[in-house]
Order: sequence, then structure tokens, then C-alpha cells
Amino acid sequence: MTYPLPMGRQFPKISIDLEKCTVPFLCKKCLQVCPEAVLHVTRVMSKEKRLEEMDPRVDGNYVLYAARRDKCTGCNLCIDVCPVDAIKIEVPEQVRVKPRVAGEQWGQQ
Amino acid sequence: MCWMCDQFGDPEYGNGVWYLNPRNYARNMYKLRAPGEGFKGAEAGLETGARSGPGIGDLLNAVEKNDYAEYHRITGFMQGRGQGSQIVPLEHADRVLELSSPIGLIACICRKGARAIDERNELEYTCMGMGVGMLKWERWPERYKGGVSFVNIDEAIEWNHEMDRRGFVHILMLFGAPFIGGFCQCDYPDCGALRNAVDFGIGSLKSHYVAVVDYDKCNGCGICAQRCQWGALKFEVTNEKANIDLFKCYGCGLCQTGCPRGAIEMKWRADVPAVAEVWT
Repeated sequence: MTYPLPMGRQFPKISIDLEKCTVPFLCKKCLQVCPEAVLHVTRVMSKEKRLEEMDPRVDGNYVLYAARRDKCTGCNLCIDVCPVDAIKIEVPEQVRVKPRVAGEQWGQQ
Repeated sequence: MCWMCDQFGDPEYGNGVWYLNPRNYARNMYKLRAPGEGFKGAEAGLETGARSGPGIGDLLNAVEKNDYAEYHRITGFMQGRGQGSQIVPLEHADRVLELSSPIGLIACICRKGARAIDERNELEYTCMGMGVGMLKWERWPERYKGGVSFVNIDEAIEWNHEMDRRGFVHILMLFGAPFIGGFCQCDYPDCGALRNAVDFGIGSLKSHYVAVVDYDKCNGCGICAQRCQWGALKFEVTNEKANIDLFKCYGCGLCQTGCPRGAIEMKWRADVPAVAEVWT
């Protein structure tokens, strides 16, 4: 039984400087160090290039993005390990979650 | 019985479990996909379907905006587009592999995305595709991330048992219900299907079994606790035995296949009244 996320919760904002981070698939340091696998790497969608031409070693073929930022804890392991300082994480101030009251969680304000 | 069984099951085969119904493996099933938004079929483009419609990012935005209506709409869309999945225990996995053809080993796209693991040959492949859709992979190997290695039923079952030994959960993937197009070997947090199920309760149906511990046989070795991907099984310190939360248990059967003493029994979900209809 999975309980839904608390509505209204603010998740960390993760920004990646794509000018600095050019070959994430080769470097993959941040991808492998993240305990929650927040960061994902994906192929840039392109009509012209076929997959066989999308060499991960070439700049700009793959991009890093924060796919699961709801799970980011702000532990900064990825920032410590990044060789080019491309990742910035802004964790919003957390509101103290009140004890649950029946009905309250579901948007009755 | 889950709602997939209500729609696609046949009482004559496998107690009415939908994925044991041979009709769901028919060749023409590939064309009989669910119509409508987000699933136009292979003719509309090779990557249609999987990438269309709202995603997890939109779901998170809705949570941040405290917009429950939008949250509900997105989860409803994700459940309804016929691209769900179901967890199956190992013995049912063997029977599925006997029914389906052709079967091909492929690279896992989730591990590639989450951990940048590049599986380039058949010795590294950790995912399985099945059904006539695999012929498309053979035809356009350059388009489909690393090609495909076709195997026969015995090889597929042996491979699947090896994956089970390593500790992967077996998840049937639907590509337009009830067409079964893939057979994922998942773990947390790398795999999308398993992760959506654990984090948001969407996408996957639980299996038709739940795992129950026989306390007389359990000696508290803790091997099963390492194999549970769902956070359902833990080592209970008080009485030094394994403890399974049946509400969280997805019935993948990894704890059962890993137990050296046979202390875990897979119980038919419908026989446990409180969790009989807990499918997410």
C-alpha cells in the first residue's frame, strides 16, 4: 500500500550547467554516487541523427537532468564528486509537516 | 483477481490469471492496441507511446502547486494508457516464458538512464523483450539501443533463474494492454517501473501472491531481508525472525527463492482477506 506524497511539498531545485557538463555518459560520477538515483542521463532527441551516430563521448549527444528531484535530500555527494562544478542544488526551506488529520491532506485547505 | 484478470483472464487457463491466458500472446494482439491519446502504435513513429503524455516531472509540479485535481488526472492517465506492468513470481515467470515467442535479451534502458550503465553485448543484457515487437528490434538494431539476442525457451528460463539468483524482481511490461512486450528485471532505485510503484503507487500491479513467513522454520539468518526491494520485509529484532508487512509486499517471491530453509511460503493473495484487493 503506497501512501501519496504530501500535497504542497516543495522539492529541491536542481540546475545543471550544460555548458560545463558535456559528456555525462562518459563521466557518470554523479550518476553512480547518488543514493536515490535522482539524476538521469538521456539521449538528446534528434530527427537527423540515428542512435548509432549518437556517440556518448561526443559533446552534446547526452544530457544530464534531474528526473527524480522529489527524492533529492541535498546531501551534496554529486556536487562534491563533479569535476566541472556543473550541478547546483537549492533545497527549499522545509515546512514542518503537521500531524495528519483525516481529510486535510486532500486539498481541503 | 486483479482488474486485468477481469478483462483479459480466462478461467480455463491458470485459474483465470490474465498473463497465463494464451490468447493474450496472439500475434494480432500487437496491432490491437488501446486507441486514443498517447498510444498510436508503431506506424505513427518508432518511439510513440512510451514518450507521450504527462510524466513524473508533471506529477511533481502538481504536488508542488498543491493541485490535487491535476495530480489525480495525471496518475489516472498513467494508469489508463495501457502501459502498466505486473510483478510476477518466478514460477509464473517460467510459465510466461513458455507461452511467449519470440524472446530476446536486450539492454536495460532504465539502468542506462539512471546509472549510465552501457550494456553492449548479450553477456551484459539485463532486460528481456518478448512478442512480435522484438522483430522490429532485429530489423532496426541501430534504432533500438544496442540490438537484441534471441534465445529459446530453455535458455530464457535459465537466464531468468540466474537473474532471480542475483536478486532482480521480475516485472511483466504491457505495451498496450493486454499485449506483453517486455519482461523487466528490476531493482530499486534504478528501474522506472519498480520505482514508480514504490514512490507513487502507479504503473504496476502487485502479483497474485503474498509472502508469509513460517516462524517455526525461520532461523533469522537475514538473507531474505537483503533481497526485498519494496521495504516490506525486515529483520525483526525482538523475536529474531523475518517479518513481512503484507500491505507492502508485492509478492515478487525473491525472499522465497532466496531462503535457504524454505521458511517463506507464497500465499495466494485472494486467500488473505485484508490484502485481497490491494494491488498498488
